[in-house]
Amino acid sequence: MVKITVNGRVVDADPTKPLIRACHDNDVDVPMYCYHPGLSPVGSCRICQVEVKQGDTPGRVMVACRTQPVEGMIVDTESPKAHATRRECLEFLLKNHPLDCPICDKAGECDLQDYTYDEGQAEGRSNEPRRPMEKRKSLGEVIVLDEERCILCSRCVRFFEEVPKKAQLTVSDLGSRSTISTFMDRPLSGNYQGNIADLCPVGALTLKKFRFQARVWNLVKMASTCVECSRGCSIQVEVLRGSDVKRFRPRANEKVNGHWMCDVGRFAFGHANAEGRLEGARILEGVTMLQFPIEDGLCAVRDALMATKGALFVLSPFCTNEEGQALLDLAKRHQGEIAFVAPGPNALKDDLLHTGDPCPNRRGLTELGIAGQAPGDLLKRIASAKIAIVAGERVVELLGTAAVKGLPGTVALYAFECHPVESRALRCEIGIANHVERAGTVVNVDGIRGPLAAVKPAPRGVRALGRHLEDLARLSPRKETASR
Amino acid sequence: MVIVKRKELSLSEKLYIPEVLRGLSVTFRKMFEPKITRQYPEEPLVKTDVTRGQPRLVVNENDTIACVSCGLCEAACPAYAITIDGGETDRAIEREPVRFDIDMLRCILCGFCEEACPKDAIYMSDELELADYSREALIYDMDKLKRPKAALQKRIDYVNRINTRWQTPSST
Repeated sequence: MVKITVNGRVVDADPTKPLIRACHDNDVDVPMYCYHPGLSPVGSCRICQVEVKQGDTPGRVMVACRTQPVEGMIVDTESPKAHATRRECLEFLLKNHPLDCPICDKAGECDLQDYTYDEGQAEGRSNEPRRPMEKRKSLGEVIVLDEERCILCSRCVRFFEEVPKKAQLTVSDLGSRSTISTFMDRPLSGNYQGNIADLCPVGALTLKKFRFQARVWNLVKMASTCVECSRGCSIQVEVLRGSDVKRFRPRANEKVNGHWMCDVGRFAFGHANAEGRLEGARILEGVTMLQFPIEDGLCAVRDALMATKGALFVLSPFCTNEEGQALLDLAKRHQGEIAFVAPGPNALKDDLLHTGDPCPNRRGLTELGIAGQAPGDLLKRIASAKIAIVAGERVVELLGTAAVKGLPGTVALYAFECHPVESRALRCEIGIANHVERAGTVVNVDGIRGPLAAVKPAPRGVRALGRHLEDLARLSPRKETASR
Repeated sequence: MVIVKRKELSLSEKLYIPEVLRGLSVTFRKMFEPKITRQYPEEPLVKTDVTRGQPRLVVNENDTIACVSCGLCEAACPAYAITIDGGETDRAIEREPVRFDIDMLRCILCGFCEEACPKDAIYMSDELELADYSREALIYDMDKLKRPKAALQKRIDYVNRINTRWQTPSST
C-alpha cells in the first residue's frame, strides 16, 4: 500500500492496481469506457485522464487506468486541465456516435450518455456527416451489434480473451472504418456471450432477448441470486410493471461470480414469467379437483398429517434454508421422513461458473440435515408411502411430470407447487410463490449465502411456501391428539 | 364573534314591485345585446392556435408512425396516463410502439408529453370532447390516437414558432 493524494485527500492505494481503482475505491468518480475492473486495462478510450503531479514536476494529464499509484503522487481529477482533456476526448468519441438515444436500449444506463450530460457538451462542432455503418449486425443467437454506436473500447474483445479464454471478437479494418467483428463473420458461441452486452459502455452490443423490450428506467431492480445452478451467482432481477421479469444481470461479487454470469442463468426468466400458475388451493372432492380457499387446503394437509403417521416429505432443491427448516420441523412433529430431490449433474458444467448441478440450495439443505436423493429413488419411496407431501417450485418437474402423473392411487399426494400438478394420487395442491416472488437464503456450492428477493408480487391467491408452513404450524395443535 | 347588521330596507325595496321591475329591466336590456353564450355542442368551440386539447400521435405522410417508443413522454407524464411497449420494425428507425395507451381519464392535458418528445411524434390536438359509456373505452390505444400529420399541422406550426422564440442560434 502506498499513500497518494486524491483531490486533496490522502488515501491508501494498492500499487499493483491502476490508479483509477484507487479513485473509485475512495468514492472519487473518474469516467471510464475501456477500463473495466474485471478486465485488463488498455487505455484506448482516454476518457479517464486525470492530472498527476509527482515531486516537483508540473501537473501532467495521464490516463488513470494505465498509471500505477506511486508514493506521494498528487492526483487531481477535477482540475481544469483534466476536464479540458476529457472534454476533447469525449468530443472525438461523439464525432461518429449517432444521436440514437430515443431508440437505443442502453439509454438511461449508458456511460457515454451520462458523461455527456455531466460535461454538458450538447452540440458538436463538426460539419462532416457521421460515418454510416451497419445498424443491425447479428453476432450469433444472443447479441446484435450496432456498428455506428460502437466507440471501439474493446471491452468485449478483451472479455472473450480473458474470461472464457477463447478469443472470438476482434477489431477489424482501419481508421474510421474500424469495427468489431468475428472471424469470417462466424456467429459467437459459448455460454458467456451475454456478458458483453453488460460490458458495452454504449448501446452497440444489445441482447436479442431484451432488444426494445423495456426502457431501463421503468425496470424495478433488486439484488437476488441465480438459481439455475449451485454456483448461486449474485444477480440483479429487473421487472417491468410488477409483472414481467425482463432481465437477469450479474452483480459484482468477487467471492462468487466476479462480474459475470452464464447465458443459461441470464435467460432463465421463462420459469419466473410462466403462465398458468396454481392459484389458491385445489382439493380432491369425489373425482374432481375443486378450487378452495388456502385455509381449506392447509386444513386438508393438517388432517392428513394427523391421521397418518410417517408421512414422506419431498422437497425441491429450490427451497430456501428457511423453508427447509420449517419443513424439517413439520416432519419431526409428525414423525415423517424428509428428503430433497437431487437430480444428477447436467451437461452444462464448465470450468468458469456453471457447476452443472441443477440444485441451487443443495449445500444449504444438506447442512440442515436433509439428504438429497435421485428422483428415481424418491419416486419409489413416494409410491410405497401412505402419504407424501411434495413442496417447492419445480419439484414435480424434477421428479418427472410423467412419473408423478403415473403414481398409484394408494398414496395420498399433497403438493405445494407453482403450477397445477397432474396425478392420480393427488389429494390437494396449494399454490406457492416462485424464486422472484419470495425472499429467503440459499447457500451456494462454496458455502456462501445468497439472498433471494421478492421482486414482484405473487399472483392473486398465491403466497410463499414459508407463509403456508407458518399457518400450517398454527393450525396443528402442539400436543398430538389421537388420530381421528 | 362578528355580528353583521342587516341593512334597513328602503320603502321601494319593501314594496317589492319596483325592485322586480328593476331586475326585469336588466333582462330586457340584455335581450337586445349580442349573445355571448354558445349553444354547445351544436355550436362547436372556437379553436385558436393555442388550443391545447388531447394528445394525439403523428402519422407521417408515408403512413408510418413517427413514434419510436422511447418512453420519454411516459416518463414525463405527471399523471402516469401513458403506457408504451416497444417492438422491433424493419424500417430504418428500428423501433416502433406495439402498444401505446393513453388513459384519457388520467390525462390532465398538460402537454408535457409534447414537450418531452424528441421525435415530434406526439402533439396536443384541438380535440377536446371526451365522453363514453365505460372507463375501458376511454383508455385510448394506438388506433384511436393516430392522426395524419396534416390534421395536427396547426399545432405543430405553433409549437415550432414558440420554440424558435426561445432557442439560441445553434453553432452548427
